[in-house]
Amino acid sequence: MLQERLIVNVLTAALETGGDFAEIFAEDKTSGRLEMVGGVLESSLSGRDYGVGIRILKGNFSVYAYTNDSSEHNLIATARSAAAAIRGSAAGSAVMDLRRTDFDNRHSVEIMPDSSQKKRKIELMRRAHSTAAGFDPCIAQTKIHATNQLQNVLIANTEGLLVQDTRVYTRLGISAVAEDGDQKQSGFSGPGAYAGHEFLEGLDIEEHARTASRIAVTMVKAGFAPSGRLPVIIDNGFGGVLFHEACGHGLESTAVAPGSSVFAGKLGERVASPLVTAVDDGTIANAWGSLNIDDEGARTQRNVLIENGLLKGYLIDRMGSRRMGMPSTGSGRRQSYKFAPASRMNNTFICNGTSTREEIIANTEYGIYAKSMGGGSVNTATSDFNFAVQEAYIIRNGKIAEPVKGATLIGKGIDCLSKIDMVGNNLEHGQGMCGSVSGSLPVNCGQPTIRISEMTVGGRKGE
Amino acid sequence: MNIEEFQEALFAKGRKAGFTEMEIYYANSRSISVSVLKGEIDAYKIVESGGLSFRGLIGGKMGYSSTERLDDESIDYLLDEAGSNAEVLENEEPEELFAGSERYHSVNTYSASLIKTSPDRLIEAALAMERIALEADHRIDMVRRSAASVSESEVLIVNTKGLNCHRKHSSASASIYVLAKESKDAKETVTGGWFDFSLRSFDDIDLEAVALTGVREAVSKLGANTVQSDNYPVIFRNDAATSLLSSFTSVFSAESVDKGFSRLKGKLGERVAGSNVSIIDDPLMDNVPSSKSFDAEGSATARHELIKDGRLLTFLHNRKTARKTGAANTANAAKGGYKGMVEVSHHNLYIAPGTAALAEIIRGTERGILIVELQGLHAGTNATSGSFSLAAIGYLIEHGEIVRPVNQITVSGNFFELLNGIETIGNDPRFVGSCTSPTLKIGSLSVSGA
Repeated sequence: MLQERLIVNVLTAALETGGDFAEIFAEDKTSGRLEMVGGVLESSLSGRDYGVGIRILKGNFSVYAYTNDSSEHNLIATARSAAAAIRGSAAGSAVMDLRRTDFDNRHSVEIMPDSSQKKRKIELMRRAHSTAAGFDPCIAQTKIHATNQLQNVLIANTEGLLVQDTRVYTRLGISAVAEDGDQKQSGFSGPGAYAGHEFLEGLDIEEHARTASRIAVTMVKAGFAPSGRLPVIIDNGFGGVLFHEACGHGLESTAVAPGSSVFAGKLGERVASPLVTAVDDGTIANAWGSLNIDDEGARTQRNVLIENGLLKGYLIDRMGSRRMGMPSTGSGRRQSYKFAPASRMNNTFICNGTSTREEIIANTEYGIYAKSMGGGSVNTATSDFNFAVQEAYIIRNGKIAEPVKGATLIGKGIDCLSKIDMVGNNLEHGQGMCGSVSGSLPVNCGQPTIRISEMTVGGRKGE
Repeated sequence: MNIEEFQEALFAKGRKAGFTEMEIYYANSRSISVSVLKGEIDAYKIVESGGLSFRGLIGGKMGYSSTERLDDESIDYLLDEAGSNAEVLENEEPEELFAGSERYHSVNTYSASLIKTSPDRLIEAALAMERIALEADHRIDMVRRSAASVSESEVLIVNTKGLNCHRKHSSASASIYVLAKESKDAKETVTGGWFDFSLRSFDDIDLEAVALTGVREAVSKLGANTVQSDNYPVIFRNDAATSLLSSFTSVFSAESVDKGFSRLKGKLGERVAGSNVSIIDDPLMDNVPSSKSFDAEGSATARHELIKDGRLLTFLHNRKTARKTGAANTANAAKGGYKGMVEVSHHNLYIAPGTAALAEIIRGTERGILIVELQGLHAGTNATSGSFSLAAIGYLIEHGEIVRPVNQITVSGNFFELLNGIETIGNDPRFVGSCTSPTLKIGSLSVSGA
C-alpha cells in the first residue's frame, strides 16, 4: 500500500523531535452490508475506508495522528505535527532497515468477498427470513443482515518491522420479533467467522433462524424473571461473555498497567474457583476474533489467563509492555486507523471441565438457567459487571421449568469467578462485537455450561 | 483531488454510467485531544479525516456507496458499487433527491478560532484538573483520565437537483474520571467522572468545577452497599434519566413504527404518557451541540412536539416515511455517520422540564432510591418491548434525606409504563448530547439487590 522509501521517510520525520519509537498503520478496507426487513431487501451498502495512522512513543507518552491523505507530502506533515507534541531534544538519527516479515497464514479463505456475491447472499438471507418467519404465528417481523469485510493492513515501525496482512470477515445476523397481544420480544442469532463467502455457504442457516425465532416466541410468552440472589447456570457458547466482562477486560494492560484494575498485582494469586481455567487465543483457525498478527504487527498467541483458579497472565500490547516490563502477548488491536492500538481480547473462553449440562441442571434445586446471553459491560476499576440474558428459564427441582424474561445478571469480577462451582464439558464459542478504547472489534466469547452458586438476578417479578 | 473537483468528476462520470440523479454527502473533522495520567501526558491525538457517501438513481432505484479516499479509482468504485447495490434493492417506494427547502433557519454552532486553541493550553488544562482533583480529597486514589479536546467538523450535501447545503460545527470539552478509596489498603474502589463542553471557546469551560464534580461523584459512592429487593420509588437524576431515554428514542421514528419495531404504532392522537409529559425535538435551540439547520436530505429543520401533555402528536419523519404515511416531513432524515443510508433520527430530543429542583424531589421522598448511573444500556434495554433491566448506582433516601450510597442493584421496568408513572419532573435538563431528560421521579419500580 505504501512504498518502503516513503515509509522510511515518514518514520524518520516522526522521530525528529526525540521520540524513541514510531509506527505506521495503513489500512485499505472494503465492506458490504445487506439488510432484509420482513423478507424485502431494503438496504445494500458498500464502502471503502482508507487511511494511515502514525504513532510516536517516548517513554510512556504516546502521540497518535491519522489522516486519509497518504501522499508523501501529507504523511510527513502529519508525522511532523505529531512529533511536535513530543517536544524533546533533536533526533537521534534513526537508521532504519525495514525487514519484510512473513508469517504462516493460519486462516484459509476460499471465496474472497466481492460484490458479485450480492444476489447469492440475498437468496441465503431469504432462506433465513422464511424459516424465521414461518417458525410460529407469533413472529411478526424479521430483520436479516449479511456483512462482509476485507481489510488490508500494512504495519511498519522504527524497529524495522514491515508486515502486511489481509483479514476477511463474514457474518450473518438474524433478528426475529414475536408479538403476543401488546407484548413484543426479539431474539437474535449472529454467526460469524474470519472467513470468506464460503462461511455462509456452509452455515446451517435454518438452525440459526429457528434459534432467533425460538428465543423471541419463548420470551414473548414468558413471565418476568424473579429478583434476588440465586444460583445461575449459564449455557455454553456465547455465555462466555460473562468471563469476558467479569474478568477479561480487567486483565487488559490498559487497565492493569496504571494499577486501575482489581486484577493488578495479583499474578499467581487465586482469583477464581479452582475449576476455572481460562484462555485468550488469537490463533484459532478462522475464528471470528483471530488474527495472524495483531494491529501492532506482533504475532497472536494462545495466552493462558487463569489456570485452576490462579491468575497466570495479562493481555499486553506494546504500551502495556513498556509500562509493565512484560512482553507483548500479541493483543494490540484497533478497529481501524482511526484508533491507537490498545490491549484487547481475541477469542476468550473458559476451558472444559468434567460435568455434563444435564448433571449441572439436575444438581440445582432452584435457580436461573441462562440459555442465551445478550451483551454486557464492566467497570474495570470496581469490577462491577452486568449483562442481559436473552433467553432464561427457572430451574426447579433439578429440571428446566418455565421461561422468564427481562433478567439482568450483575456482580463483581473475582467474587463471581470464585463462585463458579460446576463447569461442563461442552465448550463452544459465540461471536460478538466488543467495544472499548480502541473501537469495536470482533471477538469470540466461549465457555462450557457453568454454574455460579449465587448471583444477583435483576428481574421484575413481584411488581 | 479536492472535494469540488472530486464531485464534478464523479457526477460527470456518473451521468455517462446511467445515473439520472446523484448526490454526495461529505463529512470531515479535525480535532486535537490530550489526556494526562500521573502528571504526565498519557495520550495526544491529532485527527484530520473525511469521508464521502454517494447515492444515485439508476433504473428507478437509489444505490449507495462510500469512500474515504478521493481519487480516480474511488470514482469507479463508488459508481460500480452504487449500481450493483441499487440493482438488488427490493423496496417498493422509490427514493428521490431533494432540491432544497425555500429557507433555512440560522443555527450557529461554529467558532473558527476554537480549533486554533493551543495544544499547550489543553495540556495545561488536563494537568490542572488532575492536580485539583488530587488535592480536593485525600480519598482520590488515582485520576484515571483527565482530558481536554477541541474539534471541528463540517458537512456538505450537494446534488444534481441543485441542493447545496453546508454547515460547520466546533466544540471544546474537558473531562475527568477518578478512582476513590477510603484508604490506600481499602478493598473497595469507586469511580466517578464529569465533563463539560463549550461550542465557543475552550476558556468558557470551568475546569475546577469539572474536576471537583468528578471528585464528588466518586467519593460520595464510598461505602456503598446493596438494598433489599423490593419495589421502590425511584428518582433518575437528569444524567441517568437521559441515558435511559436515549435507549428508547427509536420508538418515535416513523421508520421503526412502519417496520413494527415500536409499540407506539397506531397510537397517533392517543394518550401514551402521563399528562405531565411533553417530549420535543428542537434542532434550532441555542448553544446545544446537536443543533443543525438542515437534515441529512437537506430539508430545513424545525421544532416539533412529539408528545404534548401525554398525547402522541407525531412521529419523526424523513421524506420517504412522510410520503409513505401521508404525514408531514419533520426533517429528521439522519445518517449513522457519513456512510449510512438515509434513516430517521431525532436531532435534539428532550422531555420538557418541570419546576422541581432535585433537592426538593429528594426532600419529598419518604423512602426511595436516587439513581445517578445506569450500566449496560446497550444490552439491558429492549426498544421494541420497552423493557429494561439495568445495573445501577445511586443513593438510598429515607425521610427525605440521602442516607447512604447504593450499588450492586438492578432497576427494572418498562419505558412505556414509565412514561405513565412519572410523579415529578425536575427543572434541570442538561443539554450535552442529542437527547436530554430532566430528573424524573417514578412512583414505583422493581429493584433487585440482596
